[in-house]
Amino acid sequence: MNRREFLRDVLLWSAGLSLSVPRFTVSAVLAAPDPSPLVAVGTGADYVKLTAAVLEGLGGMGNFVRHGDRVVVKPNIGWDRSPDQAANTHPLVVRAVIDQALAAGASSVQVFDRPCNDPRRSYKNSGIEDMVRPIKDRRVRIEHMDERKFVPVDIARGKAVSRLEIYRDALEADCYINVPVAKHHGLSRLTIGLKNSMGVLGGNRGRMHHDLGQKLADLATVLRPSLNIIDAIRILLRNGPQGGSLADVKTIDTIIASADPVAADAWTTTLFDLEPGDIESTVAAHAMGLGEMNIDKMRLRTVTA
Amino acid sequence: MPGPGKQRNGPAAGSAGKPHRRLAPWRRLSQALFLLVFFFLFIKTDYTGSDRLEYAVNILFRIDPLLAASVMLAVKGLVALMLPALLLVGLTLILGRFFCGWVCPMGTLIDLCHPFLRPRTRRTDTLYPALPYLLLIFVLAGAFFGLPVAGYIDPFSILVRGLAIAVYPAFNQTVTGFFTYTYLEAPGFVNVVTEPVYSLLRATVLPFDQKYYTLVVLSAAILLAVFVLELIQRRFFCRNLCPLGGLIGLPAAAGIFRGYGGSDDCKACRTCRTVCRMDAIDEERRLAMSRCILCMDCRDKCPRDLIGFRFAPPSRRPAPVSLSRRAVMAALAGAALLPLFSGVRSMAKVPDPFLIRPPGSLPDPEFLDRCVRCGECMKVCIGNALHPSFLESGIEGIFAPRLIARIGYCEFNCTLCGQVCPTGAIRELELPDKHTFKIGHAFFDADRCLPYAKGIPCIVCEEHCPTPEKAIRFRNAVVENDRGETVTVRQPYVVDALCIGCGICENKCPLPDGAAVYVTSAGEARNPEHTLPAADSGLYLSP
Repeated sequence: MNRREFLRDVLLWSAGLSLSVPRFTVSAVLAAPDPSPLVAVGTGADYVKLTAAVLEGLGGMGNFVRHGDRVVVKPNIGWDRSPDQAANTHPLVVRAVIDQALAAGASSVQVFDRPCNDPRRSYKNSGIEDMVRPIKDRRVRIEHMDERKFVPVDIARGKAVSRLEIYRDALEADCYINVPVAKHHGLSRLTIGLKNSMGVLGGNRGRMHHDLGQKLADLATVLRPSLNIIDAIRILLRNGPQGGSLADVKTIDTIIASADPVAADAWTTTLFDLEPGDIESTVAAHAMGLGEMNIDKMRLRTVTA
Repeated sequence: MPGPGKQRNGPAAGSAGKPHRRLAPWRRLSQALFLLVFFFLFIKTDYTGSDRLEYAVNILFRIDPLLAASVMLAVKGLVALMLPALLLVGLTLILGRFFCGWVCPMGTLIDLCHPFLRPRTRRTDTLYPALPYLLLIFVLAGAFFGLPVAGYIDPFSILVRGLAIAVYPAFNQTVTGFFTYTYLEAPGFVNVVTEPVYSLLRATVLPFDQKYYTLVVLSAAILLAVFVLELIQRRFFCRNLCPLGGLIGLPAAAGIFRGYGGSDDCKACRTCRTVCRMDAIDEERRLAMSRCILCMDCRDKCPRDLIGFRFAPPSRRPAPVSLSRRAVMAALAGAALLPLFSGVRSMAKVPDPFLIRPPGSLPDPEFLDRCVRCGECMKVCIGNALHPSFLESGIEGIFAPRLIARIGYCEFNCTLCGQVCPTGAIRELELPDKHTFKIGHAFFDADRCLPYAKGIPCIVCEEHCPTPEKAIRFRNAVVENDRGETVTVRQPYVVDALCIGCGICENKCPLPDGAAVYVTSAGEARNPEHTLPAADSGLYLSP
């Protein structure tokens, strides 16, 4: 390429820049939710086996990951905390989900989150990076978020927010698997699955906190996980969402999974001696028809491993 | 260009026996290698997955005898961290100022820029040969009397600070900007090439994230000036300003490595004088080892191969430079008298309440006595919390680090600034100590904080508060919100005994402009006078 061609191309691209403000159109999640969603709950001390058993309760990973799917696994890697401090998703659960997705024939498995603390420290000290990197499979990538990939998305059905910057890879995934950890939170009382989706937002996320429950429901209208696997192996009862003291952590060796994000959150709430109706995001998402929050209407499948 | 050690072309015209092998290529090779090591260590001055830094990234500052002398004179004691500087003094006694010509990254960069910044005149004599020594006297006397300014003129401080604060962040923004453009706008076939290149750059030379600093322009301008001065004469900074060069010129002059050369055979030839970048050769073609940086140009270019270097006792030792008594007295008087004004400045009575020093910092004035303004702590700070201060602590405090929480917060589990500090101005803290080391204190601005001012629920500060037992807690309050409704909101407050002043609350506060919670130096552990009135003294750690 000579200089003249280079300048010409630059001009052409600049024209493209002025004409195409990068915008992402996401069709709102309209698929009618299952009127009686299946929720699988398992307990066991071998967390890899437990994860597999809970997924088996939903009919196996093959129900969610089809051959050739681009899969995103979105754990909570929000904090520079160790696995036993219960602020991030347990690394073994992340590992097990990745292995299951690979076995189901995923063409790629991406793992990422946008931490609140330094991303490198959070990836490292959550134990997740060290659990994922050694996987000898070129399809698996754990990566820090690329600032260039946040795209503005119109939230057509949004009641509290009309536009959000969302990570492109999360939107484009064939199968987005939400793998939150269940824990205490000062504002939303608990942070579970819907709250975990905040990890794919760009910009100033602090502004989400005004009317947080409704905004999380609004976000759920454009970002619907194919599968929600909730880590309640050890739960943070106080001083969430980052904890830091083991005195606040209780081990209950439980994993919950469902295709319905609202149902998964609602059922998990009961582990904290709370009602689903105590969590604003659950109530708001249910009101918008995004999922079921009545425990009675769920089909519960319990497993042990 | 002939490779290292290659036989010189053409017959040796002189009578001095075997023709010389050229040595300048070896010097350039050495410069290149040390420059690469310098850049490598600069890039590694960062978190790389381990709580401990893996390389001695601050080594350049610890072998610097100017900074060592300045710090030790200032604190009037031995500073063990800086003893490696003796190594450089010792080596200079044996090998002369090899460091300036073969190692110093600033000198290498200046030499690299020479082809683009050729001096406008041909004059070879140094314009202000006495200036490095006057600066040296001023800096060392200043350090002793309470005006620690060595970092303003030390070549490594200027270089690393300028790179860390200005050049490197700007480099990252430019490169990232370009690849953002290609990523968003260029057609696919372009991205096939550009994206792997960008990934490679990210993994190697680019920083993890974009940093922003105060005093960017000043830091850049000072560094840039060193290079622009090349337009006046070669190695202008090294021979007209650099007090470190002046300082190591003293052992070089007294040392055992000596150049020899000129004789009557030279006749009218002045090649050596013309090529010398340090004005180290006089009319008699004698080499002054206090100035010579062993670049080997004179030796390689001498038409008769008369010039060489050997180990020999110094025979006639001309004074490195003639200093006028008046100038020396002026430098000493300035250094001794200026500090007399320090004690009557307003800051001596009421320090700037927003001047927060890094965790582990020594109390003032020893902190500034030791700080050499190298910028290493600001480079390594993963939260982008540390910034060069300006005049907040006086003219002797410029470029010393301060925490500006709205730009970046102090990461709870990080102790890197104490690890890179070459002088111990920032003490290295063990993690359990860091967790409770109080650098300041958070206060809420109830006129701005949403739950107070507007009755709007917001808990972002509490959510991010890193102490295991939260230093930010809530009181339930029944208030009328901005819609006239009576609501119960949780209003945050700070627990004096738990807040460590990390500033994450101020940093993450979702208000668009200034934060509704801000950190001051109140309660900082390094100053007992700043203890909070209500603090339970048992929970405060003394430095």
